[in-house]
Amino acid sequence: MPIDKELLAILACPKCKGDIRLAKDGNGLVCEACQLLYEVRDNIPVMLIDEAKKVDDPARV
Amino acid sequence: MKCLVTGAAGFVGSHLVERLLREGHEVIGIDCFVPYYPRWIKESNLQRFPSQPQFRFIEANLLDVDLTALLSQGIEAIFHQAAQAGVRASWGKEFADYTTLNILATQHLLEAAKSLPLRKFVYASSSSVYGDVTTLPMREDALPRPLSPYGVSKLAAEHLCYLYWKNYGVPTIALRYFTVYGPRQRPDMAFHHFLRLLLEDRPIPVYGDGQQTRDFTFVDDIVEANFLALQTPAVGEAFNIGGGTTVTLLEAIDVCQEVSGKRAELDMRPVEKGDVRQTLADVGRARQHLGYAPKVGLREGLAAEWCWVYDLYGRQGGHQQA
Repeated sequence: MPIDKELLAILACPKCKGDIRLAKDGNGLVCEACQLLYEVRDNIPVMLIDEAKKVDDPARV
Repeated sequence: MKCLVTGAAGFVGSHLVERLLREGHEVIGIDCFVPYYPRWIKESNLQRFPSQPQFRFIEANLLDVDLTALLSQGIEAIFHQAAQAGVRASWGKEFADYTTLNILATQHLLEAAKSLPLRKFVYASSSSVYGDVTTLPMREDALPRPLSPYGVSKLAAEHLCYLYWKNYGVPTIALRYFTVYGPRQRPDMAFHHFLRLLLEDRPIPVYGDGQQTRDFTFVDDIVEANFLALQTPAVGEAFNIGGGTTVTLLEAIDVCQEVSGKRAELDMRPVEKGDVRQTLADVGRARQHLGYAPKVGLREGLAAEWCWVYDLYGRQGGHQQA
C-alpha cells in the first residue's frame, strides 16, 4: 500500500524541515536538499535522520 | 474526532490507540522507538491493530517533526504518552535523554499546539513526581519532591503544561499514573519481569525488604482516565490516576505466582536509589472532576498480563532477549 497523500503533506525532512517527496519507486521519501532517503517500511515512514540513507543524485531517486 | 497519540507503539500508547480506533476515531500515531527496550516488543504492540485508513503511523522523534504542519491537519486532541521511561536508568549522563525526550519534546508539542482549537491536551504524568511524601494517600496538593531524575523531568513537563494553559490557553490536563501494569507492560517493569522469570523458572530479584508498597493501576483504567480527561471541563490541572488499592511487593509476587501457577525463589537485594518506599493515590479529585473509578483488581489484571507474557515469549520460541 503506497503512502497516502495526506500523510505525505504533513511530513517534513527531520534534518532541514524542508519539503520531501515520494521516491520514484514509492518505497521512500526523498529530501533533495539534504540528499537523504527516508525509507517506508511496512507502510511506516521512518523519519529518523540516523536511519536515512545518503543518496548521491537525489533527482534520480 | 482526529487525535494525535505520541508514544503510540509503547505500552499505554498502543492501548489508547486501540480503543480510539475501536470507538471510530481517526488517529495519527508517532513513536521514535527509543532503544530503552527491544524494538520487536513495540512492533508486536503495533501489530495488535490492523492496518486501516483511520490510523497513520510515523516513526519519528517529536523534536524533528514539523509539528505545526502535523497538528494543523484537524487534530482535536493530543494524548502525549511518549517519554523516556525508567526511574533507575535516569541517573548520570543518561539524564540528557530525559531532559530531551521528556521536557524539551513536551515543550515543542505545546508550542505547536498553542494556536490550535484543541479539545484537550492530555499529558501522561507520573506518581514519581511526589517522591517520598509524609502522608498517604498522595494528594495532588502535596508538595511534589521527586526522588529520581526521571521524576524531575516528568514534573518539569507537567509544569510546562500548566504554563501553556495559563499563558496561551492550551487546554492541558496532567494525569499522574500510578505504577501501570497489564498486557504490553515494558519489560523493565516489575510484573513483566517477574512473570517472565516465573515462566522461565528463574529466581525473582527483590530490592529492599519487599515491604515497599505500590498502588498498581491496570492499563484499561488508565485508558479510561484518558477518555474521561477529554470530556471533563477541568483544564490546567493534575489528577492522580491510581488503582485504588495498595499492596506490598511481596504480596504482589504472591499474586504473580498464583496467576501463573508457578513458584520462584526470591533473590533479596539492597534498595535501589530513586525507589520510593510507598505509593498510594488519593483518587478523590479524579473521581469528582473526571468521574474516574478504577475497575480492574490486581488478580484479574495480573491474570491478563500473565496470558500476554506467556503468549509473547512462547510465540517467540523463548529466544528473544528483552
